[in-house]
Amino acid sequence: MGLDILPQTIGNALVLGSIYAMVAVGLAIAFGVMQMANFSHGELFMVGAYCVYVLYTLFGWPFELAVIASFPIVALIGVIYERLIFRPTRGNVLAGFMATAGAGFILQVLISEWYGVGLPKSVQVPYPGGSDFLMTAISWQRLAIIPVTIAMVFGLWYFLTKVKDGKALRACAQDPEASVLQGIKLNKMTALAMAISGGFAGVGGALMAPIVSVNPYMGHDYAIIAFIVVIVGGMSSIPGAVLAAFILGFIHTFVSTFADSVYGMMIGVLFMAIVLIVKPTGLLGNVKV
Amino acid sequence: MLLELKNTAVHYGKVEATRDISIKVPEGEIITLIGANGAGKSTTLRMISGLVRPSQGEVLFEGESIAHLDPEDITDLGIAHVPEGRHVFPQMTVLENLEMGAYLVKSKQEMKNNLESVFEHFPRLKERVKQFAGTMSGGEQQMVAMARGLMSSPRLILMDEPSLGLSPIMQQEIAVIIKEIHAQGRTIILVEQNARLALSLAQYGYVLETGEIALEGDAKKLRDDEGVQRTYLGMD
Amino acid sequence: MLKSNSMFIKRWWPAATIIIVFAFAPQLFETFWGRMGMYKLVLLQVFLANVVLAQSYRLMTTTGDWTLCHYILMGMGAYTTAILAKFYGVPFYLTIPVAAICTVAVSFLIALPLSRTIGFAFFIGSFALGEFVRYIWEKLHFPFGGSRGLSNIPRPELGQSGDWYFVDFSSRMDISNLYYGTLILAVFALVLLYRLDTSRFGNAWKSIYSDSELCESIGINVTRYRILIFCVAGFFASLAGSLLAYQWGAIDPDNFGMIEMVYLIIWVVVGGVKTYWGPLIGVASMSLVFELTRPFDEFRPLIFGVILISSLVFMPGGLEVLIPRTTRFFKNLVGTKEVS
Repeated sequence: MGLDILPQTIGNALVLGSIYAMVAVGLAIAFGVMQMANFSHGELFMVGAYCVYVLYTLFGWPFELAVIASFPIVALIGVIYERLIFRPTRGNVLAGFMATAGAGFILQVLISEWYGVGLPKSVQVPYPGGSDFLMTAISWQRLAIIPVTIAMVFGLWYFLTKVKDGKALRACAQDPEASVLQGIKLNKMTALAMAISGGFAGVGGALMAPIVSVNPYMGHDYAIIAFIVVIVGGMSSIPGAVLAAFILGFIHTFVSTFADSVYGMMIGVLFMAIVLIVKPTGLLGNVKV
Repeated sequence: MLLELKNTAVHYGKVEATRDISIKVPEGEIITLIGANGAGKSTTLRMISGLVRPSQGEVLFEGESIAHLDPEDITDLGIAHVPEGRHVFPQMTVLENLEMGAYLVKSKQEMKNNLESVFEHFPRLKERVKQFAGTMSGGEQQMVAMARGLMSSPRLILMDEPSLGLSPIMQQEIAVIIKEIHAQGRTIILVEQNARLALSLAQYGYVLETGEIALEGDAKKLRDDEGVQRTYLGMD
Repeated sequence: MLKSNSMFIKRWWPAATIIIVFAFAPQLFETFWGRMGMYKLVLLQVFLANVVLAQSYRLMTTTGDWTLCHYILMGMGAYTTAILAKFYGVPFYLTIPVAAICTVAVSFLIALPLSRTIGFAFFIGSFALGEFVRYIWEKLHFPFGGSRGLSNIPRPELGQSGDWYFVDFSSRMDISNLYYGTLILAVFALVLLYRLDTSRFGNAWKSIYSDSELCESIGINVTRYRILIFCVAGFFASLAGSLLAYQWGAIDPDNFGMIEMVYLIIWVVVGGVKTYWGPLIGVASMSLVFELTRPFDEFRPLIFGVILISSLVFMPGGLEVLIPRTTRFFKNLVGTKEVS
């Protein structure tokens, strides 16, 4: 234990922060539009991982293609969530939140029935080997998460600031009633937000599939962390989610490296409690949830 | 008749907000609804733009019923609602706000033309297209909201309390702009608490009291009416 | 005097009947199922503890504050009971109040920061603080036993098997005495919760739900009342936890996780929280579904997921909204005129 593992730990923290960001951004964008809080965001992540397991390991598609395919597949589940749960419970955050807990149960059972619970599914590593840059040794597989996250967050930023429907999405988040008066269809926007939300969770899960063990309950831990991240960042703030994801990534990696992973989670939770007390709107948020 | 309300009523749950409201809006005129807070003025506008449904009566736009339509479809027909207060998109730039106003305008060229004609009314906004709307003063935000409403080149504009919370100088400026917009041949329904301002702009006015029309008539006639003077114009 | 007596009887006879039925449950079960009846008795006992838990959660929601850490409060009761009974040999009738006091203290510590938040943030914040407590259980081997938890929690000494009402399942594992302990405690808790619901406190809490600013202006200290209700709900959750700790004989941090919390939410959402009867209906109906789906238990989460979603989407008030309708229906059936 010493300074020599510092670059390595920073590298690990960046990887972890990226994956947190990918999952949390989806949560933030859904909450931003009509306060859709998805309890089972982790199950969408899990479905993304199963996309890679099925398409890449079972069907033999190229890994990259499987990851790309996970976006529309999980986005579709997000749209179904919107139609069946969030639209009927609109205006009641808790009802939607609790109902999605039920949806998470359903997804877990369906996946277990199709592919069995039994042994965790192992996905062979498509990019073996690793880097030894600046005294770090991180597998290519993990390192690949960073550029993909950057590309996807940049893509989202481009969509939200340059594309008409992306701007309309932001408008809906800021003032739904005024948006409707401009002719923006609220239902279309909530569906769009859930599609993006699902897609991000799906790609996150897809990228993690070769690294962690794939099982129907794998999403749980990521969902908990993603919720901590968006609360720290400010529920509907996307830059806040990214910032908080890296803060949490660093907290978890450093505490896990120098102490223990449970302490890492404890400090993360405590950090969130402090943020809630000191600044209930989150670091970069401006609406009290 | 561009717009006609026939014996409409609105209920929020079991509470009756307005009842038996009949209003006629001829093309090219400014019609004003005046009255105290909670008299049902805003509710009437919200009903026209589809944010709330009438529980009774008919809303006819160019002779066709629009009461069953969603707000976005009503906007598409050419009715723009400039909402009360500061309902701009605070974390978007002025330009983005105006683009949202033209959300239903499909062609890029048309949107460009609209933008230019809107900037003629609001030269002040042209200098600040990059500024976030949330950081502007109350009067400027009101201008953004009005400009945004004009971006869809509507035939009928519903303005909800455009002078609310503004300084007298700014109120005058807004009044001048409303006149300009009207001079272009657009029809306006103006909801105001500032009855003096509203009646000086409008041709015809309705006085609402506790959800009902208490009085109606030519704006000039209403200005001279003793009851209106006492209650709404602050004269003894 | 006579009149008030008859009123008292009129009001309480249904409850009294139910208590008597429950009191004879061990005999009935033994008659019908013999030694298998004990298994049913275990279910009934867990049911009673769950009713207390759901009812205490309903109390929590009267101010409009839904939490995600109620199972943690129950776990606090269970852990304290287990530690006292296992390591210090403290008897049944002492562990339960001590556990309740400890849980109230922990509830207070959790409620203090939480009371600064409302609505969704309160919900999520309670979850985070609850998880924090759960991590402590997982991390500390003494006294909480780490992630493997505590096992071999001694059975409470409630007399010899068969001392109570001469029930004897002729088994070393006879739990009929624990059943009576549970029944007495559950009745005590449920009556108390019922009185609390209609008390001055109950009214204050309900008025906080309808308009907290108004309450503040007429001199109700909203923050203090919200912390108080959190502690009171923790007290009753602790009772349920103690009973379950004795019943299970072993506990670990996973017994008090998010999935259990979601099932608790399902009970109260299905039953409803506006009236005292909602959670009772919820626990009863969902326990029934739980038992009926035993043959396909791998599909159980799916079934409960569908139940949760459909009751939130199609019946937001819960089953309790049907009570007035059914009573009206039966009254019409009997032919008595309804006076409303």
